[in-house]
Amino acid sequence: MEPIIALENVSFSYKINETHEVSVLKDVSFSIFPGEYVAIIGHNGSGKSTLSKHLNGLLTPGSGDVWVRGHNTKDASRKLDIRKAVGMVFQHPDNQIVATIVEEDVAFGLENIGVPREEMKQKIDEALEVVKMSEFRKRPPHHLSGGQKQRVAIAGVLAMQPDCIVFDESTSMLDTFGRNEVLQVMRKMNTMGMTIITVTHRMSEAAEADRIIVVEDGKIVMDGKPRDIFKHKEVLMELQLDIPAVSQIAEMVHIQIPNFSKELIQEEELINEIKRVSKARSGEVV
Amino acid sequence: MRGKPIIEIENLFHTYMKGTPMEHVALKGTNMVVNEGECIAIIGHTGSGKSTLIQHFNGLIRPDSGKVIIDGIDLSKKRIDIKALRRNVGLVFQNPEDQIFEKLIGDDISYGPFKLGLPIKEVRERVKWAMNMVGLNFEEMKDRQTFALSGGQKRKVALAGILALKPKILVLDEPTAGLDPKSRNELLDKIKSLNKIENLTVIFVSHNMEEVAYLADRVYVMANGKDVLSGTPIDIFTDKEKLQRYQIGTPETVQALYRLKDLGYNVDTSAFTISEAADEIIKVLTNGEVENHGK
Amino acid sequence: MASEFELSRNITIGQYVPTGSFIHRLDPRIKLLVFTILVLAIALNTSYVGNALGLLLSIYLFWVSKIPVSYGLSGIKPAIPFIIILAVLQLIFQGNVFSGGTVFFEYGFILITSESIRLVIVSAVRFVEIILLSSVLTLSTSTTELTHAIQSLLSPLKKIKFPVHEISLIITIAIRFVPTFAIEMEKMMKAQASRGADFGSGEWWRIIQRTKDMLPIIIPLFNIALSRAEDLILAMESRCYTPGNERSAYSVYKALVGDYIVLIIGLLLSLLLLFYPFPY
Repeated sequence: MEPIIALENVSFSYKINETHEVSVLKDVSFSIFPGEYVAIIGHNGSGKSTLSKHLNGLLTPGSGDVWVRGHNTKDASRKLDIRKAVGMVFQHPDNQIVATIVEEDVAFGLENIGVPREEMKQKIDEALEVVKMSEFRKRPPHHLSGGQKQRVAIAGVLAMQPDCIVFDESTSMLDTFGRNEVLQVMRKMNTMGMTIITVTHRMSEAAEADRIIVVEDGKIVMDGKPRDIFKHKEVLMELQLDIPAVSQIAEMVHIQIPNFSKELIQEEELINEIKRVSKARSGEVV
Repeated sequence: MRGKPIIEIENLFHTYMKGTPMEHVALKGTNMVVNEGECIAIIGHTGSGKSTLIQHFNGLIRPDSGKVIIDGIDLSKKRIDIKALRRNVGLVFQNPEDQIFEKLIGDDISYGPFKLGLPIKEVRERVKWAMNMVGLNFEEMKDRQTFALSGGQKRKVALAGILALKPKILVLDEPTAGLDPKSRNELLDKIKSLNKIENLTVIFVSHNMEEVAYLADRVYVMANGKDVLSGTPIDIFTDKEKLQRYQIGTPETVQALYRLKDLGYNVDTSAFTISEAADEIIKVLTNGEVENHGK
Repeated sequence: MASEFELSRNITIGQYVPTGSFIHRLDPRIKLLVFTILVLAIALNTSYVGNALGLLLSIYLFWVSKIPVSYGLSGIKPAIPFIIILAVLQLIFQGNVFSGGTVFFEYGFILITSESIRLVIVSAVRFVEIILLSSVLTLSTSTTELTHAIQSLLSPLKKIKFPVHEISLIITIAIRFVPTFAIEMEKMMKAQASRGADFGSGEWWRIIQRTKDMLPIIIPLFNIALSRAEDLILAMESRCYTPGNERSAYSVYKALVGDYIVLIIGLLLSLLLLFYPFPY
């Protein structure tokens, strides 16, 4: 399968002054394939935010290449094709809303790529429907809650029908409910076939994904399925990352009861494992 | 341990933008009592009135009607010593790192004490103490540039800027929002020691239930401009019906234990910490205390 | 008791109050055109009667748009000291320039005549009228409508390569962030007040001291504005915004008969204010 995004030996550094540079990304390579749900995780200052801005050409690598749908992000003439293919939702809900009416804001991107008015209406309807914000379409966005604003921002990106949406810390300013609203929309879009990349420092959010890429000091230190990643608890702790509560509980129970699996991530799995072990145990007794 | 009431709020009302088309009632008869030395968590949705309430604590907002007495100062009186009030109540806003304006860390933290008109020696002592309290080394950090700090460190500087006022009551609005786990845990420990060792009365707003369970002696739940529920974290997190009614999240551990209880396992749902929860599960599995399997 | 920090309260620009009135439903292009012409006509009218008419008209427009006049007037409050100082200065120094009419008072270079008094009163009233009119316009028109209106009124300028799209987008964003920054500033004042800062308590003539007192607010606000602007640029770029590119438009407006009637009435009123020889 052709990847949507491919990074080849990407390095990037910020210039502080004439003589000093800070190296942020160091020889990063990976590919994102259609339909994947990928979490890029790292603590603040690990380089994950700089990395995410490379995914749609907001930044271009100092050395190495980023390919989006076969276009090199350094090729300025392909900039619009790249941004049409990879949409991005940002951290601060207020700073990405341009218009003063919800539907007008969703229309902003479509206007930019010259979609005719008749088609726009349908695309806006569909996008607002997916994020469940249809009833707010005529409202001014500044009266909405954080989670609702983020859903409007998602609709604005979704309406442009990209192949992939990058969420750059999009839940970090939200409360628990706002976060759950956004996570649900992400999951839903993924099952509808959208490629999702979420950049986060929350392990519990990363656990939702099908694949986790761990970034530390501008390098990729792990890349794999959540289950495999959470096996390396010591490494994660060292990287100042949280381990999901379920995973920690499972580990502790495992120490006391060896046949209790320690490789659990989700609450559902924990409950099932408890059922299984307790059945087995009561079987032993009887 | 628990002292006399230091904050008393009775039937408090507040309306924003009164007399304009944007008029909005934020508080509709809130009650609250905080005793000296307590650590209180306030939880509730965005828009439930939490921020409006805590801004009454240091007189940034005066009561429209109702009683607000903070450390003996009655805020419904027209003339009050607002400076004394703000000295005694340190209010730390959300994302306090935004308020840093001096180039050097030491200068920024000393802004408050200088405004109090303290002699330079005393200011220095206070800055040293405050930096120590948040875990910043005075000698090493005081002359560092503020803009080059990480998010977590900036927040510590901002917190130190408030602590340098030597308040009796510390009020924090979502102190750990946006911090990574390491900085978050560090900050939580600092707040805990301020409360338990330095004996500050601490009131904090939070969306993170693990944090509430870890820090708070008592919890107030706000909804629609009113206090709808209060009690110890155990009281709150074990009242399943109310949790659902007010859409309060629970710590992950409690959530899993509830599901086990629903399945008929004999578990104690008030086990908040991860090791307590693990112990509960081990207990269930080793004693085979299962009243009925599944449903 | 209003809070000493409630800044957003007195900001009537960028606040849209949807009441669904007749004024709200007008075609924004025509609304903007009529208001612009009216404001110009009022600015050029120097008679008592003309300005009394203008004042009545602005209050009437508030009434029609179902927005309390008191709310519009609250927008004037911050400008009152300014109006007074201006009036006093005019009264003292303009007598020699507008020296017609009866002389009431003369001392040295100070000359107060019925004409200079007229000038002072008329300019104060005029100021109020203009603030009221622009408030009705912005309170009854969403920013998006306003941008579209500006854009289509400026569109003839496209022929001379004037960046109409860009300018109108800049205006929209500027207006859209006015309330946001008022809130931000309010928050910053409160945060610094919590650290012991106090604003505006020093004597007003100690300008340097008072400016220094504001630094704890101005510096952080500047930082916040910069980082917001940076975020906004990234978000707009990600959504394919390219300056100079041809864009399509989601909202289109069609002027109806009612709109044209309003236009005609507006024009007539403006002509009246401009050319009718009012006796006083």
